[in-house]
Order: sequence, then structure tokens, then C-alpha cells
Amino acid sequence: MAFQRSKVPGEDIRLAMEMTQKRRQLIEESPADPIVWEYGVNRLAASLHPGFVKAKLCSREPVCADCYRITFKSLREDGHFPYFRAGQFVTLSARVGDSFLTRPYSIASSPKRAMAGELEIIVRKTGIFSSWLTEEAPVGTELLMGEPSGDFCHDSIRDKEHIVGIAGGTGAAPFLSMMRAITEGSEDFRLTLLYGARTREQILFDPEEFRDDRIRIETVLSDEEAEGYRHGFISADILKEYVTADSTVFLCGPDAMYAYVLGELGKLEEAPAGIRQERNPVGNRILEKPETFRLTVRIRDNVKTIDARSEETLITALERAGIPAVVRCRSGVCGFCHSRLVSGECYIAPENDFRRAADRKFGYIHPCSAYPMSDVEIEIPIFDAEE
Amino acid sequence: MDRYDVIVIGAGNGGLAAACRILNAGKTCLVCEKHNIPGGFATSFVRGRFEFEASLHEFNGIGTPEKPGSARLLFEELGVADKIEWIQLKNAYRLISKKEGYDFTMPFGEEAFIRANAAVHPDGERIVREYLTLCRQIRDAMSYLSAAKGRPDPKVMMEKYPDYMACGSYSVNEAFEALGYPQEIVDNLNSYWCYLGANGNNLSFLHYANMLYSYISNGATIPKYRSHELSLALEERVHELGGDIWFNSEVTKILTDADGHVCGIRLKDGREIETRHVIADVSPHVVYGRLMDSEAVPEKARKLTNFRKLAGRGFTVFLGLNRSAEELGITDHNYFIYDTADSVAQYESMKTIGQTAAQATVCLNNADPECSPPGTAILYMTTLFTDDVWSGVKEEDYYRVKNEIAAAMIRRFEEATGTQIAEHVEEIAVATPETYARYCGHPQGTVYGYESQYYDGLMNRIQMVEEDHMVPGLRIGGGYGERLLGYPSSYKSGVNEADRTLRDIGKEGM
Repeated sequence: MAFQRSKVPGEDIRLAMEMTQKRRQLIEESPADPIVWEYGVNRLAASLHPGFVKAKLCSREPVCADCYRITFKSLREDGHFPYFRAGQFVTLSARVGDSFLTRPYSIASSPKRAMAGELEIIVRKTGIFSSWLTEEAPVGTELLMGEPSGDFCHDSIRDKEHIVGIAGGTGAAPFLSMMRAITEGSEDFRLTLLYGARTREQILFDPEEFRDDRIRIETVLSDEEAEGYRHGFISADILKEYVTADSTVFLCGPDAMYAYVLGELGKLEEAPAGIRQERNPVGNRILEKPETFRLTVRIRDNVKTIDARSEETLITALERAGIPAVVRCRSGVCGFCHSRLVSGECYIAPENDFRRAADRKFGYIHPCSAYPMSDVEIEIPIFDAEE
Repeated sequence: MDRYDVIVIGAGNGGLAAACRILNAGKTCLVCEKHNIPGGFATSFVRGRFEFEASLHEFNGIGTPEKPGSARLLFEELGVADKIEWIQLKNAYRLISKKEGYDFTMPFGEEAFIRANAAVHPDGERIVREYLTLCRQIRDAMSYLSAAKGRPDPKVMMEKYPDYMACGSYSVNEAFEALGYPQEIVDNLNSYWCYLGANGNNLSFLHYANMLYSYISNGATIPKYRSHELSLALEERVHELGGDIWFNSEVTKILTDADGHVCGIRLKDGREIETRHVIADVSPHVVYGRLMDSEAVPEKARKLTNFRKLAGRGFTVFLGLNRSAEELGITDHNYFIYDTADSVAQYESMKTIGQTAAQATVCLNNADPECSPPGTAILYMTTLFTDDVWSGVKEEDYYRVKNEIAAAMIRRFEEATGTQIAEHVEEIAVATPETYARYCGHPQGTVYGYESQYYDGLMNRIQMVEEDHMVPGLRIGGGYGERLLGYPSSYKSGVNEADRTLRDIGKEGM
């Protein structure tokens, strides 16, 4: 064949030969204005995902024994916290004693309130950080807050329009956010909350706050019988009243509750369309003979060697040594702490192993879910926000 | 060490490949990456029991060990070929276009592809055989030009590659008009346009014809463990060669000296590192608009950058399904699902927020049945936006808007293929231009670099690559580079910029 478009002999080739000259000319005719690199989409991305936001602890009130409702104000220039999806969590980072600690907390307040610069969490005093946050940190303390994260949210495509939420203790927090989102109009789905507490005194919220046709709350008390409350545990008998094939179940609470409720859900004749559970941070493991290993940590061109106990995760070792460690979910899921295992051996429980397949192939770990089994050397990403 | 021979900004495909090349030549090299993992778009993410591929649909240019393609040879040179496990894809694509009623399944392999075109048009075999002959000449001419390193013999070009010369200035639509093929054939041969994202009126025919020929003749592959495997293979190679990669380490400034030559970089935390040579795997918009002081940017660089047109802004729906592909009746790996086969009409539909007229959809299990647990499937659907329409979306509307478009794309897939998938969504993630802007910092959330425009196409860029280089000590490669978007192109572009940097270093030594 012979390709020909123009009827004028030689014209096709002449046009081809002129291409670069034409491009040169068009560049020359273009404006020499400064280059605009940031557009609305880039600003949207920066606003929704700032990495970290500085936040000021502005109020703290006890809601029951050991539990506090803590409110933060945004110190970001625009005065907002990022808009988020109800059910997400944030992290808080601060130096406590010699350690630099980061902990995840579900947001209890609504997305619109975040746009007004306020964010509320519920904290139970259980460890070093929560004790500091609930008792020691003065009102007015400035902390580093990690951007809203997580996928424990209603999704209009994935989930049914009816959510049966099952919560224990502070696991109520993400559902409080969802109910507030429904009430204020930033979410639109039906939520039945089955809330387990020991006694009335342990209840973390006032159900009267949520007067909306789409919201129903059943509180189940395990250690007390009282009018208007169910008694016992969130058993199959209670679940079957609400869980249908046209509902999605969301679970948030202690691991013991998950084990029990998942068992009870298994007994139902009509299974829900889906079951989603918020994962809890990976804690210490129980070992007969705990050992202490050497952990060599590379951060950029810095190398430090610290102790790491075999019953604690590598993140805990880093925090104990006062090294600011990048971590978000602490449950192995999010991959924010993704690090290179240079040498040594680690144990990662299969149920906490959410690494990518190639990470396993090439030797990468999530230090929040990995325990040392020998002396270990890792290269971790630098904590890239000002303390 | 606070001084490196070369600093690479961005551990994307171009940046990682460039770093390997620099280190292979015995120079010291630091890669600074703002994210916590390498790869840029070449990555993956986990949701529940699924691991989703973030961007790659099919990798062209690997070929087979017996008949290696150019990308495999490049990976061998870089020393990463043995680190990657490839899966060969069976079919090229299935084209379903609603308006014309097309449903064609096209295999890889020249002869098989030619034969399959008999189902497209009664004279399809003859026409497509002729067409592939033209494509082959274009491919050969490009190989010759590449080997001639910018000094081709005009006599050879005219005698051996006359058709290449004759169609050199034309767009896809102009060339097909001249060829006079039946519309069905043209539409089928145009199926791959969405991989380049410029419509037939603008897209260089040479570029498109070469790409189609490469796909059909070489076939395509995917890495066994998603594109994250490619990125980690390259990262491992950088470490083996003694290079450094710093994550969470965003470069905020490229420093230049009084002569306008690169003299270092500054990181977000204020730390400065000396170097005479930077390779930026970053959009030139960001390099000249953000990373350099405006006085340090030559006027010509501003003109060139303002001349460019930002290409497609990405949108992808990732689905983890709780049924197998077989149970759901999803039979193919790679679908092009179009409302109309007219690329100009598709392109125009992408200028408003809403359902566009085109989506490319991959069912990963039909390439690798082991990619998700038994009884499940992974599906991802991609479209583009050809204007900056996402810039008007408000924070509080964002999550709703993206799910509306995702739902429409799921419905269209169901209609086009006669399957039911919406009821089986166990995991979902939706990436929008905001997502791509967030992770890779590209202006407007583009995923395709600069659009292949009539006067800014592949051949023009390659021929003018030295003219487009403006700041001494600074080379810009990757998806915005002279070879345009795509996996093999961005790796190759990174290597080319590394070679140019090595030449620059060589000249300094003299």
C-alpha cells in the first residue's frame, strides 16, 4: 500500500516535516505567565487529606467511671477539621514522659461539626496515653491530630440502607457520629443501634438526643435489670428482631464482644447482607518466656539501636524509646507504618496481616502488627510533621 | 551524607528506573518520595480480603522470555527482570458499544486478530491485514529512528518508510479518513484510544498505530502481585546498588545557583541536600510552578509549560465481589464499554461531572484466578475526565458525588454484559481526580500527564527533547516525559533522563 491523504504530490510529507517547526512556533506564541500548579481539586485534596492537623484540647467531661468526652478545636488556618465520613477515626500524637505516642480514636461528633472546627472523641482510661489524655493533659494542650481515616462507614453501594449497629463500651463512638450525621442530614440511612453496657451508669450517651425516624436505639444491660432496657447480652434472640437479609451489620467493641456476637449472628435463620467490624489495635501477646532483642532502626541517614521485647509490637518498642513513629490504625490494616525489614524475623498473626502480597514477597512489614522474634533491623519512614 | 551525585524527586515508575540507571553507572543517588511507599500510581491497596491494583490494566512490552519485548529488555538492563513474575493475558479486549450494537472479542496475535475482524466486517480480514502492514512499517521506522539517535538518513527514511513519512502529520481520524476503511473496522481499531486519552481528532496516528501494533503483536501481561511488585522490585534494586530512598520526604524546593544551575534540594522539614543533578519524576507544572522560585524558571520553560494541555483526570471504581467471576458470568479480563464508539463524542462526554460515555473495566480473576480468595472476584472500572470539572466539588458533597458516578458505572457494566454485580459488592473504593491529586500531587488530578495533542505528540516530543530541556542540571521524566503516559513509557522516560544526566555529568568531568 501507499498511504496518501493529500491530492497534492509531496504535500503529506511536507506537512510531516513541518511538525516540529509548528510546535516550536506554538510554544513561542504561548504566554510566559507563571505556572499554575494548584487547582480546586488539589485544594480539595489538601483540605480532605492534610496528613496532620494541629488541634487544641478545649473541653473534657466525665461521662461515666473512667470514660471522658473530649472535644478539640481545630488550629488549622481555615478553622476546620477535614470533612469526614461518619464512622472514621483520627489519631492523636503527643510526647508523654520519654515516649512519643500515637493512638487512634473513633470520632463521635458529626461531619458538619468538623466543618465548624470541633471534633469530639470518647476516651476510656486504660493505658499510658489515655491516662495522660484524661487526667494530666491540661485543657488548652495542643496535639497533633492525624487526618480522618478508616472504612467503618456506611457506603451507599456496598451496604444496605438499614444498618444494624452493635456496640459495646466506647465502641458506641462511631455510631454516635453516624446518628448525628443522620440527624444533621449529612448521611441518609436507617440505623438500629444495639448497645451493650453493664449498667445504666455505664451508658455513654443520651438516647433522647436522637429523635429521628431513621434511628432506633436498644440498650442491653448485662449487669442490671431496669425498665426500658433489655437485659442480658446481644444474643441471637435480640438480633433476630432486627437483622434481616436486607440489613448490613456493623460491629464496634471489644474483641470478646465480636467473638460472642459473631457466634450469635451465625445462629440466625436470616443472615445479614454483610458484616463489617472495626478492628481493635494489636496489643501485647502472651509468651511464657518473654525475651528482649536488639532493634536497629534506620530513619533516613540516622541509625539507632534500641531494645524490643518479644511480647510487644515493634511500634511499641519505637514509642517506648521515644522515637516518633509513623503509625495510624495500630491494627495492621492501613499500612501507614509500612516499613522495610532489613534483617531478622518477626511474627505477624495471620488475622492481623493485611499486607500487600508483594510486601510479603520482598520483606516489608507493618510494625504495628509485628512482634520481634530475633534481633531485627528495620527501615521506617520518617515522622514528617512537627511535634 | 548531605551530598549526592544525583537526587531523584519522586519514586514513581520514572524515578525508580532513573535511580537504578544512575546507580548502575556508579554514581551516588538519593530518591526523595513524599508518600510512604514507592510507585506513584504503580501501587496497590488492601480492603478486607481483597488487594486492588491501583492503576495497571495491562502491561505492554514485556513479551515472552523467548521473544522479549522492549520493556523486558529494559528491566533486564536495570537488573530487576528476575524479581518480577509475569502473567500472560489471553485476549486483547472485548469491545461493547451500545449505539452501534458492537460486541467484539479480540485476541492477541497478529493472525488471530486479523481473523477475528471477519466478525466485524465481511472484508475485515483483508483490510486489517493491510492495516497491520502499515503499522509494522511505522513500528520499524520508529525502531530505526531510535537506533539512529536523532540522526536518521533521510534517504533511508524515504525509501524504506515512505508511509511512515506520509502519515507523519496526521491525527488518527485524518489517517483513517484517508484510508477509507468501513466504519466498523475503524471503530474496532480505535478501541484502545482510552489508553492514551486524546480523541481521534488530536491523537497522533503514528503514536496510536504503534501502540495498537505493539499490543496486538506482543500481547500484554500483568505482574502476579499487582504493580506494587514492580515498584518494590525496583526499590530493592536501588538498595542493592547502594542507593537511598527516603519516604515521607517531600521535596519543596529545587535550589539553583547564580548561574541558574541546580545546586541542591530542600525537604519539607527544611533540610537541604547538595547535588548538581536532579531528575524530577514530577509534573513540570509542579516543578516550574511550585518547586522553583519563579525568577529561576526560564521564560521559555514557562511558555512551554503553558503550551501543554493537561490530560485525562482519572476516576476508578474498585470492587471486591463475594461471588466468583464464573458465578457472576463475567467471562473476560479486559472490557472497553462505550456508549458510542466515536472517540470525539466520548471525549466530549468527559467534560462534565457525571457518567461519561466510556469505561475500561478489568476483571482481574480472568487473568489470575488466584488474585482473590475462592468464591470472590475483583473488578475495577476506569474512566477519565477531560476537563477540570472536579475542581468545583465541595468537601461536603464529595463522597456523595463519587458514589453516584460509581453506581452509574456499575449499572452500565451490568447492562452491557448482562450480569448482576451490585448485590455482591463486599468491598468498594472509589478513586477520583481528588485521590490522584492527593497521592501524586498532579495538577487537577491528571493521571495521563500531558495530552497527546496534534503538535505535542510522541514524535514531536522525542525530536525536540533537548530543546525542551531548559534548566541546567534538571531533567524531567516519567509520565509527563517525552514518551508520554503509560507504564513502559514512564520507565523508559526515566532511563532516558538518567542517561542524559549521566552525559551531563560526563561533560562536567572534562
